[in-house]
Amino acid sequence: MKDKPITRRRFIGNSGAVAGSSLLRISVPAALALAEAACTAHEEASAFKILTSAEARELVAISARILPTTDTPGAREAGVVYFFDTVLADQFADQLGGFRALMGQFLAGVESRFDGAKMFSDLSEADQDAYLTDNDKTPFFGMLQAFTMMGFFAMSSYGGNKDNIGWKLIGFEGHGAAQPPFGYYDAQYMQGAQDDN
Amino acid sequence: MTTKNQIEYPLDEAVDFVIVGSGSAGGILAKELSTGGFSVVVLEQGPFREAKDFTHDEFEIFMMSGLAGGAAHKRNQTFRDDESKVAEVPTGPNRAPAFYAPGIGGSSVHFSANFWRLREIDFNERSVLGAISGTNFADWPITYDELEPYYTKVDWDIGVCGAPGPFDSPRSKPFPMPPMPVKSSGVLLEKGATALGLHAQAEPLAILSKPHNGRAACIHCGYCMGFGCEVGAKSSTLAAMIPQAQASGHCEIRADCAVYQLETGANGKVSEVRYIDPAGNQRAQKARAVIVAANGAETPRLLLNSANAAHPDGLANSSGFVGRNLMYNSHALVHATFEHPLNDYKGVQCTRVVHDYYESNPARGFYGGGGIDARPFLHATPIMYALTGQPPGKKQWGAEFKEQLAHNFNHQMTLAIGATSLAMDRNNITIDPTLKDEWDRPAMRVTYRDHDDDLSNARFLRDVAQDLVAAAGALEQWTHPVVPQRGGPHLLGTCRLGDDPQTSVVDRYHRSHDIANLFICDGSSMVTSGRGQPTMTIMALAFRAAEHIAAAARANEI
Repeated sequence: MKDKPITRRRFIGNSGAVAGSSLLRISVPAALALAEAACTAHEEASAFKILTSAEARELVAISARILPTTDTPGAREAGVVYFFDTVLADQFADQLGGFRALMGQFLAGVESRFDGAKMFSDLSEADQDAYLTDNDKTPFFGMLQAFTMMGFFAMSSYGGNKDNIGWKLIGFEGHGAAQPPFGYYDAQYMQGAQDDN
Repeated sequence: MTTKNQIEYPLDEAVDFVIVGSGSAGGILAKELSTGGFSVVVLEQGPFREAKDFTHDEFEIFMMSGLAGGAAHKRNQTFRDDESKVAEVPTGPNRAPAFYAPGIGGSSVHFSANFWRLREIDFNERSVLGAISGTNFADWPITYDELEPYYTKVDWDIGVCGAPGPFDSPRSKPFPMPPMPVKSSGVLLEKGATALGLHAQAEPLAILSKPHNGRAACIHCGYCMGFGCEVGAKSSTLAAMIPQAQASGHCEIRADCAVYQLETGANGKVSEVRYIDPAGNQRAQKARAVIVAANGAETPRLLLNSANAAHPDGLANSSGFVGRNLMYNSHALVHATFEHPLNDYKGVQCTRVVHDYYESNPARGFYGGGGIDARPFLHATPIMYALTGQPPGKKQWGAEFKEQLAHNFNHQMTLAIGATSLAMDRNNITIDPTLKDEWDRPAMRVTYRDHDDDLSNARFLRDVAQDLVAAAGALEQWTHPVVPQRGGPHLLGTCRLGDDPQTSVVDRYHRSHDIANLFICDGSSMVTSGRGQPTMTIMALAFRAAEHIAAAARANEI
């Protein structure tokens, strides 16, 4: 709890519009360093606060099928596993035990279903999707799906949504002021009102 | 420091008024009474945030309930849907059963600021429609005409923008500001309404469309629903009232102070207010009069927790109506996508509303009415959009899901239905027999199940909303079953106004029937629920109450 990247319980003295960018400036280099370290350290858990490297490997693999890498970046590129690590060590620390237990149940079925595979991450993408299809109503999947959305879209100061990958995907321009018209229909409406004058 | 330089009153010298709560009602009462020359101490259990403390951190706001008491908030309450059951602390992602924001300004800090007035019919609907069996459906002791000047005071002093609609009740003064520029969602609602022969009117909003009373206008950042406004354009009492209260030199605001008991003296009046200060010490502030404005859930809890030998059922509760008649307003949602981008996440939530179905129509076979507005709803920010804004029945993972996420965000909107709730004995706030909250106060127990008419009415309005988005040219639309609610942010009716001490808690001027120097004013005062946007009325009641309370104090009648 001591070395968390942001202060959460009480609002800190940043204006809302500026808070996002200043927090990003502080945390992005750290997150990048963490990412680089972790990507080459699957057997060394040092880059994570709470997750083991084995857990991280499975979570990366599962979340990468929830939001896969297509012609646009997915959960893997957004670094959602660092978000999982951040919040399970802090904001969702009370859920860590339940999360691990459910994850164990979820993964336990892999070995019995697929000959020669021990872990989900060992499977081909097609087999991974087949396994998820059979298990996407389980509590663990529901939890991880929600975590993946949070990790993909929360401010990157929480570890995921690297370079605002999530926001860019959906066309969310994020913080700050905007000026109307905002969309197609109000632009047309304004145009119509002007034409009437 | 937000409380630096403010006056400080000693605990053991009675101030004119202690106000419990600083939200939509408490903030107004504090400002009106302190600028009227009375000494006022405001006790607020949440923190004193300033505009600069408000972030756009969606995870903090929605996942951690950052403005709404934090993750622990919902663990301070229990819920059940029937009095025969044992109430339990809610688990899972549901919000607190009684959802509100501790903090100076209360829930007016995070609200979406839709500011509908009630209409004439809301005040005498029981007389017009007749009794509804199994309910406490009643007329108000006041009329629209009596409240109208105070609605106008809210428009001007708090700051409301808008334009008159075809069904509005008469107003004595125009809106102080023009409505917000219409958004694409509003244009589409208007298109659908016109096609169906209905009427879309500008949404009245407690958000400044122009600079007003020294405050800045809205910058259209889109972080209204659930967030605090960092430019102060949203007309919370934190932005509009508290600074004036403090500037009066007669108002001391004590934040992070959790009131646990009102003490009564030998003369039968309230003598002091007991609370836990930020350091955890028990304190007692003496007062000549006390106003409880803690919201429709916390107000009855405090009155019930203040039971003593002279008041064994709680203070002001000779009627047994303290905590009864809880009304959440009923709700339903219809979501739709359109061909072109709306970008509805920008700007305020709502710019158009349809009020053609405001009035109850016995021909429908059930009681109820409501409004239908267009907005991004909780899908203005990406996490909530991804978690709650997706069509049901589709796979929630994989490449196709990702494509849907990417496409719909800018092309989607929601029609939100806000509608009536009937007052009933079975829906109430009581004290949980075992749970204590984080201050060790006996916790509130919420018991609630919507009346069948409220569900029927919400379904009826949802069907209208489905027709509206279809008529507006929706490519795809979806909705969810209307089921009994298990929580809500509108906490109404639990200490209702009334002339009859047998069936109400406070008189028409918000003085409790039982205790001469105890006043109650907040959502609990409402006799009926209105059609789904209660805060305008709570604020108007507070201005009116302040005037009468001040007059009574000056006449030495407290």
